[in-house]
Amino acid sequence: MSNYQVLSEARGQVLSEARGQVPDQELMSPGHVACPGCGAPMAVRYALKALGENTVLIVVASCWSIIAGPFPYTAVQVPLLHTLFATGGSVASGVKAGLEARGLKDTTVLTLAGDGGTFDIGIQALSAAVERNEDFIYMCYDNEAYMNTGIQRSSATPWGAWTTTTPVKHPKEQPKKDMVAIMAAHRIPYTATATVAYPEDLIRKVQKAKGIRGSKFIHVLSPCPSGWKSEPAQSVLLSRLAVQTRIFPLYEVEHGEKYTINVWPKERVPVTEYMKLQGRFAHLGPEALAQIQENVDREWEKLVAKAGVTHLNREDAKNAKGT
Amino acid sequence: MEKVIMGNHAVSYGVQLARAQVIAAYPITPQTQVVEILSEFCANGTLKATFIKVESEHSAMAAVVGASIAGARAFTATSSHGLALMHEVLHWASGGRLPIVMANVNRALGPGWNVWTEQTDSLAQRDTGWMQFYCETNQEALDMVLQGFKIAETVLLPVMLVLDAFVLSHTEEPVDVPDQETVDRFLPPYEARYKLQPGDPRSFYGLVAPEHWMELRYKMQKAMEEAVAVTQQVGAEFGQVFGRAYDVVEKYRMDDADLALVTSGSIVGTSREVVDELRDKGQKVGLLKIRMFRPFPVAAVREALAGVKKAAVVDRNISYGVGGIFAAELKSALYGTPHQPTVFPFIIGLGGRDVTPQSIRDIVAYAQEHDAPAEEIIWMEVKR
Amino acid sequence: MSYIITFKSEADMPDTTVSLGTTLYNKTGTWRYMRPVYRNKTSPCNYACPAGEDIVNYLQMVVRGEYEQARQRILEENPLIGVCGRVCPHPCESECNRAELGGAIAIHAMERFLADLPGKHELPRAEKTAPRGAKVAIIGSGPAGLSCAYQLARRGYKVTIFEALPVIGGMLRVGIPAYRLPRDVLDREIAAIQSLGVAIRTGLRLGENLKFEDLRDYQAVLLAVGQHRSRKLNVPGEGAQGVLPGLEFLRRINLGEKVEIGPKVAVIGGGNTAMDAARSALRLGAKTVMVLYRRSRYEMPAIDEEIEETEQEGVRIEYLTAPVEVLTTDGRVAGLECVRMRLGEPDERGRRRPEPIFGSNYTLSVETVIPALGQEADLSFLDEAVRKAAGLIVIDEAAATSRHGVFASGDAATGAGTVAHAIGSGKRAALAIDRLLNGQTLAGFPALNEHVHVAARNVDPTIVRFEDINPAYFTPEPRTAQSQRPAAERVKDFREVNLGFTESEALREAQRCFSCGTCNQCDTCWLYCPDVCIQRREHDSYEFNYDYCKGCGVCAEECPRGAINMEEELKWRK
Repeated sequence: MSNYQVLSEARGQVLSEARGQVPDQELMSPGHVACPGCGAPMAVRYALKALGENTVLIVVASCWSIIAGPFPYTAVQVPLLHTLFATGGSVASGVKAGLEARGLKDTTVLTLAGDGGTFDIGIQALSAAVERNEDFIYMCYDNEAYMNTGIQRSSATPWGAWTTTTPVKHPKEQPKKDMVAIMAAHRIPYTATATVAYPEDLIRKVQKAKGIRGSKFIHVLSPCPSGWKSEPAQSVLLSRLAVQTRIFPLYEVEHGEKYTINVWPKERVPVTEYMKLQGRFAHLGPEALAQIQENVDREWEKLVAKAGVTHLNREDAKNAKGT
Repeated sequence: MEKVIMGNHAVSYGVQLARAQVIAAYPITPQTQVVEILSEFCANGTLKATFIKVESEHSAMAAVVGASIAGARAFTATSSHGLALMHEVLHWASGGRLPIVMANVNRALGPGWNVWTEQTDSLAQRDTGWMQFYCETNQEALDMVLQGFKIAETVLLPVMLVLDAFVLSHTEEPVDVPDQETVDRFLPPYEARYKLQPGDPRSFYGLVAPEHWMELRYKMQKAMEEAVAVTQQVGAEFGQVFGRAYDVVEKYRMDDADLALVTSGSIVGTSREVVDELRDKGQKVGLLKIRMFRPFPVAAVREALAGVKKAAVVDRNISYGVGGIFAAELKSALYGTPHQPTVFPFIIGLGGRDVTPQSIRDIVAYAQEHDAPAEEIIWMEVKR
Repeated sequence: MSYIITFKSEADMPDTTVSLGTTLYNKTGTWRYMRPVYRNKTSPCNYACPAGEDIVNYLQMVVRGEYEQARQRILEENPLIGVCGRVCPHPCESECNRAELGGAIAIHAMERFLADLPGKHELPRAEKTAPRGAKVAIIGSGPAGLSCAYQLARRGYKVTIFEALPVIGGMLRVGIPAYRLPRDVLDREIAAIQSLGVAIRTGLRLGENLKFEDLRDYQAVLLAVGQHRSRKLNVPGEGAQGVLPGLEFLRRINLGEKVEIGPKVAVIGGGNTAMDAARSALRLGAKTVMVLYRRSRYEMPAIDEEIEETEQEGVRIEYLTAPVEVLTTDGRVAGLECVRMRLGEPDERGRRRPEPIFGSNYTLSVETVIPALGQEADLSFLDEAVRKAAGLIVIDEAAATSRHGVFASGDAATGAGTVAHAIGSGKRAALAIDRLLNGQTLAGFPALNEHVHVAARNVDPTIVRFEDINPAYFTPEPRTAQSQRPAAERVKDFREVNLGFTESEALREAQRCFSCGTCNQCDTCWLYCPDVCIQRREHDSYEFNYDYCKGCGVCAEECPRGAINMEEELKWRK
């Protein structure tokens, strides 16, 4: 049992009740080849802690295809199936059916894909699988570009960001695709966002997903020091700032209808606090930054409205424990 | 029990008898009846399988790969553009050494849209590491599903069985549908050698550096080479159990043939009739049926054509820039052997254009009248 | 173990790409150019505590419910825990980093809570280092003398304290009123020290009925005589009846004497003695009590809480005013003439010098004047063998005076004026005496403005400040105030004003502590390491797995309390 159980301080505001929810068992080894400070191994470590050994991990072509280590080695202590870029949704459906045919009805299938394999090349198979309400947990670790092939833009790249295919003279012109809204529109039982700075929240969500039969989608923001041009040591800080600036709110959607905001940042942290730590935004001038702030504020209010928060209950919502 | 059924349904009965556990398929003319009737079997419980109604063929093959590495017996069916769409996943199945069985109904690849039979679709996948078997009749299609699983699960390579669009797929023929008990004796439940097993955590299909790659690929080729003997053994066993034996090729009236027709698929049936007719007229014509195309039955073909002077290869396919694919593979198999027959490469029947007994007679006549082919590719019945 | 897998031939290999081992073969520690190191650093409270207490660690013990261990941790360094928990000006709280996020930890009240724990308590044992038959004499039973006696007695020394007054405790007994320091608390803590075998002989004043020659049998002597003389007011009429020097006033009350004071009382001064005198005067029945201070509130040296409590009780404090003459009638105080002051240039200590405003004189009608302008030591009993300067006994870092075998500590040597300093000072002398009598060198003591510890610390001397704390892990929780008796009620007697913490208050307050620079096993580093390179060891500590650590620095960045440093890898590779 972790000693931090005795502390009263919140590790992030959502967690005052979630403390002590991190299982001790490690199902990931050191020696994996993620870049120093990468958010992706953090996300998988937490997800595997949440699920335990009776899990099959499917890794769609992405950084994790390499992080997992080369043949004949593996970095995780659960069965792992590497699969083709566009096949996250389809392979997972087949694996689940195959396991059930063998009588392994309680084994959890966790599909892990990057933003490329989820938002872009993999979106067809994913949409089809969740439309069929296939029983798996799909976890997208989103580092906001095709990082494994060298930082090319994806539809998850935020507006204004530099990537090798959206160079400084022509940064990304389109806003980030709202994948959670797309998944929620399929009316699947459970959709949620999470990030590595809030591990107890991520673990809680994965465990909640495990207990639901049907399609579960968890969108995890995963900082990438290499692609974001940030300090490796600051990956957790960036992940926290993303939530506190409301750029990446933490919330859940059940059956496409019921929205619950998990963390309501107590102070209004300006987006510049998050962006100034990343070289991929260094070229943005004050107008662009102001535009981004405006966009973030507007999206936040839309989310707040979806969560059923009005001026009448806003104070309660801000103070509520977000479980 | 004898039924009069179309080729597609023969495949479906084969899959039901083989007790496939996971099926994922996407409809495409002329395969649709395969999946329709399998859907019914799953729905009414006569087949205890999960049928995943995927949204594309790429996903169908991916789902089947997933099911197979999860340890289940898996099946899919497709045709033409569907098969082409699956292409990258076919490599994953073979490199993954997964004993998947797929039925492909040969259909031409567009543009323009053409739903009729042509072998180019399956042959275009000949480098993917899948075994390929070309069926002459609906009976053979059903029988091939059963043998396919047995062969695949022995050598750990996926098996594609191929049947002609409409000529077989939609034509009803008498087919002996075996009983489940006998099939169960022939084909036991699938015990996967490599599978996803909680408690035995292994990683499949990850990064392989050059230092290990060639050995793994060497092993795949070795498996293909072993597959020839395995196919023959399984075919012989099938004969003992069901009364119909199979080999990698079939020699029909080849003993003293000067000229051999070499062909595959439903054209074989048409050719048999013409060979009988010509033999009755005293012509020394024989027929070599290529049943197994991958691995290419080099030894059997060499042996069969050893004393033959002329080989008329009938291709219902083309590899642009080269010509008929069976002809090219045959020439390659014969290279370096003493007493090679002269090969006459014919292309006929693309896009479903009918191949009649007269077509075969014309082919034989051409080969008899020429010492050597007058052109690199002998196009039959093309307006030029 | 190497974990590396090699194949001699394809026949040894599986048929497909399937793993046979783990990535433990890959020692990613080779990637690193910086490495994380656990380095506990000095918390500001520990840095500030003049008694040398290990505050940060004892607070964490409270958090874990280990109250007795926390108590023992304090007692290791300071036997007068109940005293300090009531009267210390808590410089620890002034340095506390938590002030930036809800208020400094109420360490002072915490110490009192631990002192008041029910049940039988024992003073912690120490290793016996005293040579056979070693005897030490201590002059003065104030906090410095008691601290030194404690540290020596627990090491096996035979200690005798000689006290001039008929009562034991020095300023604790005669300078601090009972409503701040109840007599039974003081008695209990002195008794505990005596129970170690310390003999205290009262009524013996060195230079009068006790001579240095009488101390020949003792191998060392400690002078801990304190500062018991009041500074003079230096105005005409000072000698009148009704002018009661503050220290004398408080002493007489504490000795149980009856003290006559007028209905109107003026206390001169701004320190704790002035506050004590004013509040005591109220309790003796004075109708009007005022405090006159020549500088402003900002410069008042008294503890803030004392000033607040004084005002709550109805004492009026007048700033920027000073007496110029005591007006008398028949040799008795009839009034006090004062002049208004203004603050001029800073003096040598940085405090702005007060200057009288010419012509602003005014008169107050009072019957009692209590000057409380500061204390001095009476060192007339010492000859030239013991060097003095600026009214204090000169000592070096080992608390040694210029006379061999004679040491000095407390206010008489430091002039510091607080109990905590005296305790630290007495402890220093005890450790020095222990070395001297064991024939060891006296070199190597920390400087006089640094603190001395009995228990080894193994801590980096870098002081942790608020910018080293990671505020993401803390929310602004307000400081818990201890309960007090209401002002109107408490002025009626000398019973204790402060009521201390309940257990839940103490726990809540301890849980606010950042644990600056001190790992408290919060697991944050373990939780965030992307490479699973932090192992939790037995006995609640962590170990970095340097075979695999890539040096990303997430642990150091996230550590809520700044207990992890990133250091250059090359320095370690030698």
